[in-house]
Amino acid sequence: MRTGEIRIEDLGVAYRLYREKVTTLKEAMVNRFRHLRGSEQFWALRHVGLRIQPGEAVALVGHNGSGKSTLLKTIAGVLSPSEGAVDVWGRISPMIELGAGFDAELSGRDNVFLNGALLGFTRRQMESRFDRIVAFSELGDFIDMPVKNYSSGMQARLGFAIAQDVEPEVLIVDEVLAVGDERFQQKCMARIKDFRAAGVTFVFVSHSLGPARELCPRAAVLHHGRLEFDGPIDAAWEKYRELERGPLPGPSLQAGP
Amino acid sequence: MNPAAAAETSPAALDEPLRARRPGPLRELFRFRQLIQVLVVRELKVRYKRSVLGLFWTMLNPLVLMVVYTVVFSTIMPTTQKNFSIFLLGGLLPWIFFATAVMQGITSVLTNQDLIRKVRVPQAVFPLSVVASNLVNFALSLAPLFLLMAVLDQPFTRALFFLPVGTLIVALFTSGVTLLLASFTVFFRDVRHLTEVFLQVLFYLSPVLYSLEQLQGRDQWWFRAFRTALDVNPLSYLVPMVRDPVYYGRLPALPTLAVASALAVVTLLAGFRVFVKLEPRHIHHF
Repeated sequence: MRTGEIRIEDLGVAYRLYREKVTTLKEAMVNRFRHLRGSEQFWALRHVGLRIQPGEAVALVGHNGSGKSTLLKTIAGVLSPSEGAVDVWGRISPMIELGAGFDAELSGRDNVFLNGALLGFTRRQMESRFDRIVAFSELGDFIDMPVKNYSSGMQARLGFAIAQDVEPEVLIVDEVLAVGDERFQQKCMARIKDFRAAGVTFVFVSHSLGPARELCPRAAVLHHGRLEFDGPIDAAWEKYRELERGPLPGPSLQAGP
Repeated sequence: MNPAAAAETSPAALDEPLRARRPGPLRELFRFRQLIQVLVVRELKVRYKRSVLGLFWTMLNPLVLMVVYTVVFSTIMPTTQKNFSIFLLGGLLPWIFFATAVMQGITSVLTNQDLIRKVRVPQAVFPLSVVASNLVNFALSLAPLFLLMAVLDQPFTRALFFLPVGTLIVALFTSGVTLLLASFTVFFRDVRHLTEVFLQVLFYLSPVLYSLEQLQGRDQWWFRAFRTALDVNPLSYLVPMVRDPVYYGRLPALPTLAVASALAVVTLLAGFRVFVKLEPRHIHHF
């Protein structure tokens, strides 16, 4: 097992769903406890197996609700598998949602340290990175202003600037490049290419072929929680288009144990 | 050799800031220790932002309490107990620490759910940082207490050196309770309201307004029942950790200290284990 490797074996992630609809008094009483039984389960992912070698770049492709984000969150460790296993070797930089955990009341400076601590860094480690982060974010004197006064683009810039400075071995990116102006997007793209060149394992979610093809030779197609295809990106895109043309059953519920 | 184990024990891997591979919950928590510090500082910073007196407000609250109690119990309802206000505060300050931390901490996992959905952090940092920030408040409220002691000629004895240990015992117990209830609250929101009511009753069942000695020698059945309740109430052992050095100028009795320490350790271990066990399921119940 090498640093940067991701191994996903027979992964299933189930969400519990409960209906709020109540018709009888008995149901009204019983329903107060049913949230603990988890009587209805929705498998956002099931029987997904994927191996990503160190330094590989994989795009995750699929319709809304296909399980892409769930898979990404499971790799990042936010969600735990309901069945199967996900093993990731190496330091992950999750760019799932930039600026997650920013406190709007605090200054950009304080948020750099807060965000760093959320990623598991000590204050000293963040201090040595601080100037680089501010330089990358191009926020200048705004760094001492409360984040609530930032524009959404500025918040995203600060978020990306922090996430790009953690020397990741595994980089997970969930369409965060759609924020910020075009020039900053280019800068992010260039930074991600640097990581790619340095041999960082890369998992990327995208709805458009352009950036995905630019960054990833390989793609995995998810369709209603199943892995339908895993291979070269152009073939994957064909498959994705084909699946989208087919009938789209609504998400179905399965009765659980 | 198991590759996962190899990755975990290699020295380089120990400083890794982020790994999806989960190390033991304690080590994980230790790695995020500075997050607790940052969260406490954030809490204080946000609370006193643009307030002129800042941290002084934290001290003002107990200060006002002290003045009120001192006036009430020295003029309006005089008691036989010497320096009753010191006696009272010696019990009230640890109680306020405990009760406030529990009530604030109980919702801390829920209020941070947006973060928990997006970032992989050991969720125990949220209740623990609430306990820590209330510990800071407790420490700050000791300043006006000492001031009052000086004013009322209450002797400062060497027993006061025990105060950090006593405070630690109270803090560990409080952490255990807060962890346990913070997790339960995710599954049953009623826990919060239940606790609120329970704490109100517990306040009068704890030796805060009165001392255990005052109940000696009365033999009616309701006093016996009351004493039994006090015997099983953990607070009966925890309150003396602070009050004995402050008011009586002595160390807590050895059996009391032993029970309090044992309660603190057991509660913390139980609370942490249950929390860690239920933690992965929280996200499905937000």
